[in-house]
Amino acid sequence: MSTFIITTLNGVSYAFILFLLAAGFSLTFGVMGVLNLAHGALFVLGAYFGLAVVSQLDTLWLGIVVAAAGTGLVGLGIYYFFLRHLYGKIPEQAVLTIGLGYAFANIILWVWGPFAKMGMTPSAFTGVVRVGTLAFPIYRLVIIGIGLLVLVVLWWMQDRTRVGAIIRAGMDNKEMTRSLGINYGVVSTLVFLFGAALAGFAGIMGTPILGAYPSMGDGLLLLTLMVVVVGGTGFIQGTMLGALVIGLLDTFGKTYVPSVALFTSYAIFVAVLLVRPSGLIGRKVF
Amino acid sequence: MAALLEVSGLSVHFGGLAAVKDVSFTIEEGERLGMIGPNGAGKTTLFNLLTGQLKPSGGHVVFKGQDITHKPVYVRTQLGIARSFQITSLFPNETVLTSALIALQGTRGGRYRVWGVFTRDKGLRAAAQELLESIDLWHKRHEVVSSLAYGEQRKLEMGFGLASGPELLLLDEPSCGLTPSESADITERIRALGKKITVLMIAHDMDLVFGVAERIILLHFGEISCEGTCDEIRANQTVKDIYMGSHKASTAGG
Amino acid sequence: MATPMRPAGFLVGRLTRKAVAAPVPAERGGATALLKAWLPAIVILALLLALPGIVPSYIQSLVTKMMIFALFGVSMNILWGYGGIPTFGHAAYFGFGGYVCGILIIQAGISNFWVNLLLVIVFTALLGAGLGIPAFRVYGVGASDNPIYFLLVTLAFGELLVRVAISARALTGGSTGLAGIPYPDLGIPGITINSHSFYFLVLGILTVCLILVYRLVNSHYGYALRGIHDNERRMQALGYNTWLYKYTSYIIAGAFGGVAGCLFAYFGGVMVPGNMGMAMTDIVFLIVILGSASVYFGPVIGAVAVVGIEYLASVYVPDRWPLIMGTIIVIAIMVIPKGVGVLLLDLWRRVFRGSAA
Repeated sequence: MSTFIITTLNGVSYAFILFLLAAGFSLTFGVMGVLNLAHGALFVLGAYFGLAVVSQLDTLWLGIVVAAAGTGLVGLGIYYFFLRHLYGKIPEQAVLTIGLGYAFANIILWVWGPFAKMGMTPSAFTGVVRVGTLAFPIYRLVIIGIGLLVLVVLWWMQDRTRVGAIIRAGMDNKEMTRSLGINYGVVSTLVFLFGAALAGFAGIMGTPILGAYPSMGDGLLLLTLMVVVVGGTGFIQGTMLGALVIGLLDTFGKTYVPSVALFTSYAIFVAVLLVRPSGLIGRKVF
Repeated sequence: MAALLEVSGLSVHFGGLAAVKDVSFTIEEGERLGMIGPNGAGKTTLFNLLTGQLKPSGGHVVFKGQDITHKPVYVRTQLGIARSFQITSLFPNETVLTSALIALQGTRGGRYRVWGVFTRDKGLRAAAQELLESIDLWHKRHEVVSSLAYGEQRKLEMGFGLASGPELLLLDEPSCGLTPSESADITERIRALGKKITVLMIAHDMDLVFGVAERIILLHFGEISCEGTCDEIRANQTVKDIYMGSHKASTAGG
Repeated sequence: MATPMRPAGFLVGRLTRKAVAAPVPAERGGATALLKAWLPAIVILALLLALPGIVPSYIQSLVTKMMIFALFGVSMNILWGYGGIPTFGHAAYFGFGGYVCGILIIQAGISNFWVNLLLVIVFTALLGAGLGIPAFRVYGVGASDNPIYFLLVTLAFGELLVRVAISARALTGGSTGLAGIPYPDLGIPGITINSHSFYFLVLGILTVCLILVYRLVNSHYGYALRGIHDNERRMQALGYNTWLYKYTSYIIAGAFGGVAGCLFAYFGGVMVPGNMGMAMTDIVFLIVILGSASVYFGPVIGAVAVVGIEYLASVYVPDRWPLIMGTIIVIAIMVIPKGVGVLLLDLWRRVFRGSAA
């Protein structure tokens, strides 16, 4: 029974890391229709930027800020110089951003070397919480808390703010929003910047649990895609649901049936594709 | 004798809106049926239901005695229903000749052949010549479709509908955007199709409708409002109210 | 004016996004016209046959690699350039073919090249048949948006296979991969394959495959595929079962990709999980895009360019190849999106036909 509780909490905290990872992608892809396959690489960049600050200046908070701001800037560059000119050309966006992703990974390798870095849990959050015989790392609870916060903020932005409404409207009819005097270009740029910054934020936040090494990007991108496909695009709730499904399945799989652990999440991925291609909670596209 | 096409209780909903509501009618073999109605009445939606681009939420479509309500688009074409689209839907990057070859091959055996050179298929080339000559585009056969004039593209669009060798041809606004002389030309071509091909035609151009159709259906808000011969429709007051009044608005809009 | 007809030449390709020029009249002097069209291919073939005598062996080895990747690129272009199907997991078939080849030799002891090749084709086709079903579930018709999902799903499938390869250690050697794949055994007494003769084997297989693919894209099936690329909705309305065409082309392209992968396994002697993943897919995509997806010979040109640059990078700036590749990709997409092949074809027409495209 205690294994079950621990596994569930582990699964949920892992799910929230996946959520933070996928949320940025869900924003830019599901909301804007822009494909940024360098997303995994941005996560890794954020991790490295943050860790660089932490190791030099020994302050996590500044590390987080630098991670988010740094990747936000990189994202801004990607959008401004490249993606902006490739509007609607999805395969070109895909190829270009994959290429950028590899370039970034190689730069990280060049600058910081091939060895994995361990994330440093901030001293305030080390240690465990004890409930009866169970011990649960505080940091994982922090991740859950922060993840929930981000979820709430994004959900609110999606449903209740003017920006959210503009983006949703623009998704359906770009010309119309432009003719209404809204500068869709600026909004797009800002959304993309935000999505990239979120990836970097997720990166540094995830380091105590996932670590950081230059070739992480591929696996992370795969996870992002699975979360987004399973959960559906267009709604942040979908991303959360997808993250929960993949995260829990993966964790339970690894704990209880380690020999087929890998396949539990893949199986659900293929199953969703066959049965509900639009995702569990997605805009009905198929 | 059973009708060629029997539509009963056909409906489709988008969200809460019923785009087509409980539509029923029949078409006899060799008939020419015109469908008119104001913009947004659901005419093209009805076509999409008949050809299978759209799945209905209720009702049946029976063609030659077979229930085709849920059959995929290509199966219906193989059974003998073909269509032309209101917004020209051709192969912009191919030549006229190649387009015709591809269009004709669709309902012929051999379309999965992986040997032989497609463009040298003698039987197809002969059929293509016949088709293109009949719509007066043979002399343009090496032009790329995207470089054709709009009127020529509309003719090719209709040609595509004929290429499948259909028994029932659905024409969606065949004279859309054409000059009066081009429209008259199209009218003649449709009349010249003879009794072998049954025609169901959507049109806004009343000259075209009265020139071609024997019977007319008026669609309004997704429902059949009136039905009758040309003279009956011409005299019908409801038609005048619903359609002719907004007809002025729609021609102004183009 | 004599009615012109497009000659079945090797380099006269189909420009996906542009009008094709008026072709050479073929009704007068049919044989000479045919020869003229096929001449460049014959010349190149002759050059390739003579090459080993002229250049040092490391260049010969490099050209072998170029040929393998040319086949890889052409196989993907069946889907990308002709079918308009944006598959992003094509490397999966390449790598899978290589793994099947290696596993058959090392684990199952099947050393006969021809048996091996046949099994690679069969298994790769089966993989394509299996993955194709869920993949095409998310391929919409007509709407410009929907191929995104197909793209992402095929990408995910590729990465999935990488993870499977990593974990199926007993079969695949895990993350270190399979090593020690020998040169093929043709089963013909008196002929042993070494690095020198492998070149000719690859050349032979490449030529055969290129001819087969060429016949495919010019057949009834091939034109139907092109029609689907241009306007799938119209094709359905004309009676074509478009899903079946897309599905079968996916399998066929995968099979040819598997053949390329099989040759790759023999070439390098090593297969690693990454050969099925995103990096490899991006390389072949660069090959196709740089060379021009809309020209039949495009991917061949792209393969020469990419493999060549990779070699130069490995000599002068080792370890920085991914960075260089990323840069070239960015340049290719932003500056020459139509690819180099189109430019070369244009040049060819001006020089040999005296007319502009």
